[in-house]
Formats: sequence, structure tokens, C-alpha cells
Amino acid sequence: MLIFDNLSLIFIGLILLGVIPNLFYMAGYLPHIQRKSYFLIHYFAFIFSMLGVVVANNTILFLFFWELMSLTSWKLILTDEKQKGVSKIARFYFFMTHFGFIFILMLFLILSNGNLESSNFALLKENASHFIYPFLLFAFVILGFLSKAGVVPMHVWLPYAHPKAPSPVSALMSGVMLKVALYGMIRFLFDVLYPWPLEWGITILILGAISSLVGVLYALSEHDIKALLANHSIENIGIILIGFGMGMIFDTLGLKTLSSFAFIAALFHIFNHMSFKSLLFMGAGSILHQTHTKNMEHYGGLIKSMPITAWTFLIASMSISALPPSNGFLSEWMIFQSLLNSSAVTIMELKLAIPFALFALALTGGLAIACFVKAYGITFLGLHRSENAQHAKEVNPLMQTGMVLMTLVVLSLMLFTPWFIGYFDLVVQDFNHTSVYDIIFSHGIWQIHSVSSNGGVVSPLILLGLLLFITTMLYGIGRIFKSKIRYHHSWACGYQTNASTQYSATGFAGPIRRFFAWLYGHDEKLKTITLSNKNKTTYDESFFEVHVEPLFESTLYKSVIKVTRLISYYIYRFSYFEQHQHYSGIIFSLLLFVLFSYRIFMGEFSWLSFIIELVMMSIVTKVLILGDKK
Amino acid sequence: MILYILTILLLLLIAPLLTGLIKSIKMFLFYKRPVSIFQPYANLNKLLTKELVISHESSAITHLAPWMILSPLLVTLLFLPPIFQGAYYIGFVDAFTIIGLLSLSTFFLMLLGLDGGNAFGGMGSSREAFIASLVEPAMVLTIFSMGLIAKNLGVGNAALNLSTHFPVEHAASFLFAGLSFFILLLAENGRLPIDNPETHLELTMVHEAMILDISGLYLAIIEMASSLKFVIFSSLFVTLFIPYGLNLIAPLALLVFVGKLILVSMVVALIEVNGAKLRLFKVPNLLGIAIVFAFLSLITFYLLGV
Repeated sequence: MLIFDNLSLIFIGLILLGVIPNLFYMAGYLPHIQRKSYFLIHYFAFIFSMLGVVVANNTILFLFFWELMSLTSWKLILTDEKQKGVSKIARFYFFMTHFGFIFILMLFLILSNGNLESSNFALLKENASHFIYPFLLFAFVILGFLSKAGVVPMHVWLPYAHPKAPSPVSALMSGVMLKVALYGMIRFLFDVLYPWPLEWGITILILGAISSLVGVLYALSEHDIKALLANHSIENIGIILIGFGMGMIFDTLGLKTLSSFAFIAALFHIFNHMSFKSLLFMGAGSILHQTHTKNMEHYGGLIKSMPITAWTFLIASMSISALPPSNGFLSEWMIFQSLLNSSAVTIMELKLAIPFALFALALTGGLAIACFVKAYGITFLGLHRSENAQHAKEVNPLMQTGMVLMTLVVLSLMLFTPWFIGYFDLVVQDFNHTSVYDIIFSHGIWQIHSVSSNGGVVSPLILLGLLLFITTMLYGIGRIFKSKIRYHHSWACGYQTNASTQYSATGFAGPIRRFFAWLYGHDEKLKTITLSNKNKTTYDESFFEVHVEPLFESTLYKSVIKVTRLISYYIYRFSYFEQHQHYSGIIFSLLLFVLFSYRIFMGEFSWLSFIIELVMMSIVTKVLILGDKK
Repeated sequence: MILYILTILLLLLIAPLLTGLIKSIKMFLFYKRPVSIFQPYANLNKLLTKELVISHESSAITHLAPWMILSPLLVTLLFLPPIFQGAYYIGFVDAFTIIGLLSLSTFFLMLLGLDGGNAFGGMGSSREAFIASLVEPAMVLTIFSMGLIAKNLGVGNAALNLSTHFPVEHAASFLFAGLSFFILLLAENGRLPIDNPETHLELTMVHEAMILDISGLYLAIIEMASSLKFVIFSSLFVTLFIPYGLNLIAPLALLVFVGKLILVSMVVALIEVNGAKLRLFKVPNLLGIAIVFAFLSLITFYLLGV
């Protein structure tokens, strides 16, 4: 019924680490919520269902908890039902999560041979080994679990859905729920669908590389702070998948130690992303709680009024930007090392292709730094940009406790890296992979070694110690000079410094947005209102607006809607016989159809004639039956 | 060990000298009367005794950031490759950590730009973020290729490997990686095709715009940090990409090393004299060249075999 192997146990640990600080934060946030009992029921059911998913060892139980998780999170998005546009977004989320659910259901139905009640993962593996189209199963795993994890191109719902939920729930959804979806993928790939062909690893690697770049680029153009963080979740899931995909590739090629290292890196990044993303969402929730707006352009100067939020947010920002010696740096370093280990791969095409994933990951890292300088600088530094930001105060002690506890989780992931890696090593050992703990920490726990012979070494604690030591020493030396301090206003070319002379978030991301214009498809509007409609005066007001339409949404999703509409329109025309002269046309094209299919069924098949006949059929159908669209 | 500490002190002391050297070479080539190459020391000395003017609009970040800009660079200084054989060096740190430490320094510099609440700082930070994010992939790819050629990712070990057994069969990829790294050296230090360190015009400022509001001790720290960054990059460049002279006896090797640093400064000065600043949106083209060179270096390495 239930399974408690190491994989399940570390995911239970992950959920608990994410949930316990969140409980404090939620308790502080609760007065802000109107429908309290509604919220609480769904909140606890949501946590319970996530725990259920990671321990279920029975198909019907797994499906039950999975569906419960989807439904409770859907209801949690609807907590504040009066929010603008929330019902539309909740509907979208409901649709997308069930889009994935259908594939998971199909996967289970195929693998359990109809015996849903009493089949566990061992039985599923047995059935999977007999199934003749394993790639179909893999595709179902990708579509089912990764659409929940928000991997490009199935990510469009994520930046809409996560920000709409109350902030503690956003933290749980981005920090923990996405990881539970990854748990599903890992469980299936390791436990049921092992061994993997080479293409599977490559597919995962490509999906990861694209997700990481797309996520961070859309995050940069976002002004809604919670949507920015949600976009960063897409990026980080991509980074995790890069590590995981490299592990799969190495495993298929028989490089067992390298593959264990890459899997450990991916698992470590799962934990790290949980910690800093939860903390960032909590910080964003605190700001939202105080300023009542999600728009970053209305923040500014909050470090003066909300110090605890600001400093915890800084730690999380450094961690997500992968700056040493934070935990985010360590796991990203490990994933980089896994990519560098690709020089051991013997297939030349693959070897030449993997640097492109390295390029994507490095560009992602650079853009993430830019993005978090923007998020931190515009939100916390400078002058208050609006009335709301002026009146912001530090949040209540319970919410502060939540944030501080989460900061401790972030710091402990950095300080106790060997201990965590020891557990991840047990997980990969469970699935018959080589243990690499002794290689990683071959020179004691102070240094993390890459597993390849000429790989790199990093030592987080020594780095941290050196940084702290040198900074305090410098500070001590700096004190000798006893500089006098004079306070004065910032220089603004002789004008007065005020909130509107500062750089805005839109302006900050301007160069990058312009460089990647093909991806954003943004339109910029400059509107000037003059007093006399014609001549310029000194009392003119100008507005500059940038609207970013995500490429995937406009091409992939809207075109599906368009095509569906077109098809349904012609089906309508076809079924109602609006024009009588079409009877003869229908009969003619039916005759053609019979003629052509007769040739095919008689075995006289060739692709050329097939294509010609297809073109003829479609022309005849379009001209004689369908006619022009009205 | 004593030599190790002396080397670090030498690099610390030589840092402002190189900045002054570039400046005076440029002035000489412009037919101006060159300033003394020791001018940066005088500037630092002046700044240290001046009073600090702190902006009303700024926050605690202004007091934290200068230290956090300098200290990662000082930590990086400890991990640089040895300048002659047999010298003590910290070998366990790899190039990724060094890239990360440099990013940490840049991160706080960008925050400092946004802290003052004036438009210049934000503008500088925005441009720096744009450039730094495009530098990162080229840097990682170059480092990867370098690690493969030198058979070690740790910069110290890589430099020693290269100086003892130079891989002649990989000279092509070595050359590509060197070109790419030199472009990155220019970009990361804000030298001329990317950023003009001498101008105070809002159209062209990147680095200077971020620190426009800073004065006194903090400005001295940041000036020191930017010249240290140049020393770090140029000493990485000369030990990795001009790997000759490490096996000489200690005093001679030191002289050769300093000579190579001066050579790099002269090349940078010559480029600055002969070129104009690129428009901000032309900068990606130059960095794109660096990325392409890095890819070429990797591809030639793989195709020629190990």
C-alpha cells in the first residue's frame, strides 16, 4: 500500500522542510484571509495530499492523492474569489492540471493491465517491460508529470496560477508541489521504465535547457513580483531537468559514477529550489500584505521599513542567482560539473551538442543575476515609488518567524551539504547506481570534488569563512580612517531627487528586453496628452507602456484554439448542408476517396502517389464541399 | 608560504600601477603630457582622507556593498595560479568558483547603483546587468575549453600543466580560447570597446554611472576593486594563455610575470587608443564573437581528439 524507501523519505523530508516554516507564516497571514475555514481545510488537505503522493505505492491511491492535490490547489487559488480575473485563471489551471492527469491515468491504465486496485510499482515495472512501445510510456510521463511541473511548452498556466493564490500557498505550490510532480517523474523513470534509451535523456536535457532560458527571460520582463518568481520556478525546474537529463545520458552510456553525480546534483537542486523559492514567495507575500499591490513599480525603499523581509530576501536572491557560497551556487556548480563531464562521452555528435546546454545554463545564470538585481533593487532600494510603499511596516512576528525559519533552511542546506548529499547518495544506491559519496568527499567534508579525474573542486565552508574573515578585516581597517560622514541628497543633475526620477523596473530590463525582442513580441506604447491637442506645452503628460505577450501563449495555445474553431466551423457547415449544390460535390469526392483507397488497399502504395491523391482530395473537398468561409 | 603572501601583496600593490600605466600610455599616444603612472596611488590616498558623503535616499546596502565588492576579489586573489614553479598555491579552487566570486562582486555593485535612488545609478546597473549576463556564457565555455586543454579545471593546476607540457596538438583551440578570454577581459573590466572608463557622459557610462554617488573611503574601495579586477583578469590571462616563464628561477619568473602584465596593459591601451566605444546594442555582437570563439575552441578540441 505505502512505500517508504529512501526516495520517498527524502521527499517527505522536503515537504516537511517546506511546510513547517510555512505553517508559521500562514498563521500570521490568516487574518488577511476572509474565508478562513475554507482556506484552512484546503490548506491542510493540500499538504496531506502531497505527503500522500510521495508515499503511495498503489495506483489507485497514487491517483487519488494526485487528484486531491490538484483539486485542493485549484480551490486554494480561488480563496480570494473577488480578485480580478481569478476565476478565469482558476479555470485555466483546472484545465491544464487535468490535461496532465489524463496522461497519468492512461499511463496507469496501460501499465496496470486494468488491475488498478492491487498493482504496485513492482507490478507496473513487470508490465512495462512487456509493453512494446516504451516511448509512448515515456511521452505519457513527460506530458503527465512535467505539465504539472511547468516545463516549456506546458508552462503557460504557471505564471498565472501561482501568483493568484494567497502567498503561503504560492510558496507551497512553487516550492513543494512542483517537486512532487518531479517526484512522480523520477519514481516512474527509476522504478518503472528503467533502463532508458539514449533519446530519453536527450529529450529531458533539451526540455530542461529550453525551460531554463524561457523561464528566466520571461521573468525579466515581469513587473508583477509573484509572477516573476513563478517564472523563475520554470527556470529552476529546467535546471533540475538539465542535471537529471545528463544523469540519464550517462547512465545509458554506462558511465555509472558520472550518472550518480548528476542525479545527486539534480536532487540537491530540488531541495535548494524548495528552500529559496519558498523564502522568496514569503518575502513577496509580506510586501504584498503591506503594500496591497503586486506591481513592482509601486514598491521602492522597503529595506528601511521592512528590514527582516529585506535581508532574508537578499539571502534568497543571492542563493537563486547562484552566487557563492550559497546553496544555490553549490547545486548549480554540481550541474555545471555534470555538463563538463560530457567530455567522457564517446558519441561525437552528442559531445558536440552538450556545450549548447552548457551555454543555455550559463546564460540562464547570468540573466538570473540581472533579474534578481532588478527584483531586489527596485523593490527594496531607492525611494518609495508610491503612497502604498510609504505606509508599509514590518509584518507581524509570526510571518517574520516563518521567513527566518526558511532562511535557516537555506543556510543549513549550505552549511550541511555533505549530510544532505549523503542522503541523496542513498537514494541513487537504491536504484542500483554506484555510490559516489566517497569520491565527492574524498578529501574530507570541507571540499566537494567533481567525480571525473580532472574535474573541479569547491569548498563552501572555506569560501564562506574566507569571505566573512576578509570582510570583517577590511571593515576593521576601514574604521582606522575614521571618515567623517555627511548626509546629502543624491545628485539629480540639479533637479530635485524624487521617486519618479529613479530607474523603473521596465527601464532596468529595457536593454535585455530589446535584445530578445523576437522572443517577447512586446509592443511599446508612448502616449502623450497635451493641453491643446496640438502644440507641446510644459504641462504635457506622457505615458510609456510595455506589454509583453509570451511567444508560447500566442503561438502554441492560441493557434490550437484557432484551429479548433476552424474545424468546428467546417463540421457545422458540413452537417447542416446549407447549400444544395453540394450534394453532387459530396458524391464526387466520395467516389474519388473510394478509388484512391482501393488502390492503397490493393497494395499499390507509393508515397508520391499518396501525396498527390491527398492533395487532390483536399482540393476537391475544399472547393466542392466546404466552399468559402462565411 | 612567505612567497605566497608576498605574491599576493605584490598583486595588491601593482593593481593601481597598471591602471595608471594604461592611462599614461594612452595620454602619451594622444600627444598629451602623460600623468605619472603612480597617480592612482595619490588618488587613493586623497580619497581615504576625504569625508564620506552619503545620500539621504540610500540604505544600509550603501554601507555594506563596498566591502562586499572588494572582499570576493580579495578572496579570488588568494586562489590565483602560482607565478613560478614550486611556489605555494591554493590548488583546490576551480574556475567556476572564481567566476562565481566575480559575479558576487558585480551583484553588489549593481545593487549599490540602484540604492542611491538616482537615475544614473539605475542606468549603470541596467547596462552592467545586460553586459554581465551575456559575458557569463562566453566565460563558462572558455573556461570549459581551457579546462579540457589543460586537463584540469582548477586554475592553479591548469597553469602548471600548461607550462610543463604545452599541448601543441591543441594549439588551435588554445588560440581560440585565448582570443575569447581577451574579449572577456575587456568586457568585464569595462575597457573601451564596451565601456569608457574615463567619460562621465550619460550616453556612454556603465561602470562610472553606478558609483556616481559614492565618495571618500567607499569610492577608494571601489576604485581599488576595479583595478584589482583588472589584475585578476590579466594575471589569469598571462598565466593561462601565455604559459611561459613559470619554470625560471624565482626572481626571474617574477620579473617575467610583471613584464607580461605590463604587456597586457599596453595591448589594452593600444586597443583603447585605436578604437571607439561600441553602441550599447552593438556590444552583444562583440560578446557574440567571444561566444563563437569559445564554441570553436571546444569543437576543434573534440574533433582533433584527446
